[in-house]
Amino acid sequence: MLLEINNLCLSFGGLKATNDVTMHMEEGKINGIIGPNGAGKTTFFNLISGVYKPDSGNILFDGKRIDGLKPFEINQAGIARTYQVINLFKKMSVLDNVMVGMHPRLTSKFFASLVHTKAEREEEARAREKAYEWLDFVGLKDYALEQAGALSYGQQRLLEIVRGLASDPKLILLDEPAAGMNSKEKEELNLLLRKILQKGVTLLIVEHDMKLMMNVSDKIFVLNYGKKLAEGTPQEIQANPEVIAAYLGGDD
Amino acid sequence: MKSVVKGFKPSKLAIAAVLLLLPALFSAIGFSYGVLVSCFASLYIIAVSGLDIDFGYCGQISMGHAAFFAIGAYGSVMLHKYLQLPILATMLIASVLATIIGAVIAYPASKLVFHFLSLATIAFGEIVYTLLLNSPGGVTGNAVGLFTDSINLFGFKINTYSRFYYFGLVCVGIFLLAKHLMVNSRVGRAWLAIRENSYAANGMGINVTKYKVMAFAVSAFYTGFAGAMYAHLVRYIGPDTFTQKQSVMFVTMMLFGGTGSILGPFTGAVLVLMITESLRAFEQYQMLIYGFLLLMVVVALPGGIYGETKRLIGRIAAKRKGGKAHAS
Repeated sequence: MLLEINNLCLSFGGLKATNDVTMHMEEGKINGIIGPNGAGKTTFFNLISGVYKPDSGNILFDGKRIDGLKPFEINQAGIARTYQVINLFKKMSVLDNVMVGMHPRLTSKFFASLVHTKAEREEEARAREKAYEWLDFVGLKDYALEQAGALSYGQQRLLEIVRGLASDPKLILLDEPAAGMNSKEKEELNLLLRKILQKGVTLLIVEHDMKLMMNVSDKIFVLNYGKKLAEGTPQEIQANPEVIAAYLGGDD
Repeated sequence: MKSVVKGFKPSKLAIAAVLLLLPALFSAIGFSYGVLVSCFASLYIIAVSGLDIDFGYCGQISMGHAAFFAIGAYGSVMLHKYLQLPILATMLIASVLATIIGAVIAYPASKLVFHFLSLATIAFGEIVYTLLLNSPGGVTGNAVGLFTDSINLFGFKINTYSRFYYFGLVCVGIFLLAKHLMVNSRVGRAWLAIRENSYAANGMGINVTKYKVMAFAVSAFYTGFAGAMYAHLVRYIGPDTFTQKQSVMFVTMMLFGGTGSILGPFTGAVLVLMITESLRAFEQYQMLIYGFLLLMVVVALPGGIYGETKRLIGRIAAKRKGGKAHAS
């Protein structure tokens, strides 16, 4: 198991935002999390990526405990993420955004950066080349020197994803990657998600777009009121009466 | 580095010539006071460039940088006075001391955001000022201050304003080159990322606290060294130089020139100093003048003089290019 989440709980005051959730995710798969609005999906993401600390339960990544670590430590451990609200470095170039994403994989320290040692210059040159490759991967190479804030909404979403990938993660968490995209962009996203998987990166996606999720996921977890309602293949989830009830608001 | 050597255009050569001949030009027109002002400009450029690393690049405001200016100045003077160390060494040791104190202050301060951080740094500035005025055993000379010597560069005394001007010019060159190299590196990118969005920077694997402390400490080194330069230029230091007013002056120079660049703080330091000097007669209104300048940049020129000029030139160039492309 790449990611093991056991009995995870987090409350905000009296509200149990995450209530005894257990999820196990295999390497090399596209995992999806769905759930009605307010089901606690983003909270759950913030728990994995270290923004929140769980009240109880634990998270194992690659066999090591990562719950309680800070966001930057979790990124260094190999989990990258994107945000539901676009969180780019707007006034930096597109290229620099990707290079910031590479930060934990680069080694130049303060004094090497101050005098630009030979090793530092070589590392920076390699990083720049690699950053261009990443931009090419999502089709943003021509915009490398533009300000990130000047990109279109769909392009900014792509840049968020590639900035996360630039840290060479084992797992990437995508928080509503299709939000605000038109149907053509969604098709391209579908292809991109598979291309990311081919690079050997496991995916965990929170998304509202049911069609996309059913199409792309190997395994789906359903959250409702902070609890795990169901898990299984897209076919199993679609046939699950509890899930249907939760989505249609049935009075079970 | 290459571009520094390669890019020797005639305009740059002209600027270099003017900078090198400035003392001679001033004495030719009988305005020797200009040389002294240029000496002050050199140390203010260094101080404000340092503040810009902290604010313009890393996004942390400091309203108490006069404290580091004071630590550099008093540190160097006292190390020379009490331990008889050579002055250039004392300047460097005092700057390192400012850096260490900066790092210690920055660690708790890095958790604070904008106005809370400015309040904390104002408080720090006041603490240092009060300590200078009421030092244990009167080591700082309290209200009287301390007299000191000129810089002694391995036997060569920098005891005239012209000599100091060239010393200052070299220092400005070194400090600005160092800043240029630092901000164009992995470290500089991390600083900018923190300024742009510290939440996302944290998520990208950047240890935000560590890099904030680093930026603050580096900026304390710059301002500390500038303080030491001040002490050995004037050869006298007293607490009145290191009040809140000095911190406000640094911030004014930085914002007036433009943040997050190499030439912005340079422009700001020179212009604000020139304005202050030409309005010497109205010294009691100095804070009013700073206030007016600050208001002007915040409202009318958010990029500062340098930033806005650059933007304007860029826009004109883009228009011209666009026009040509249209014609062809």
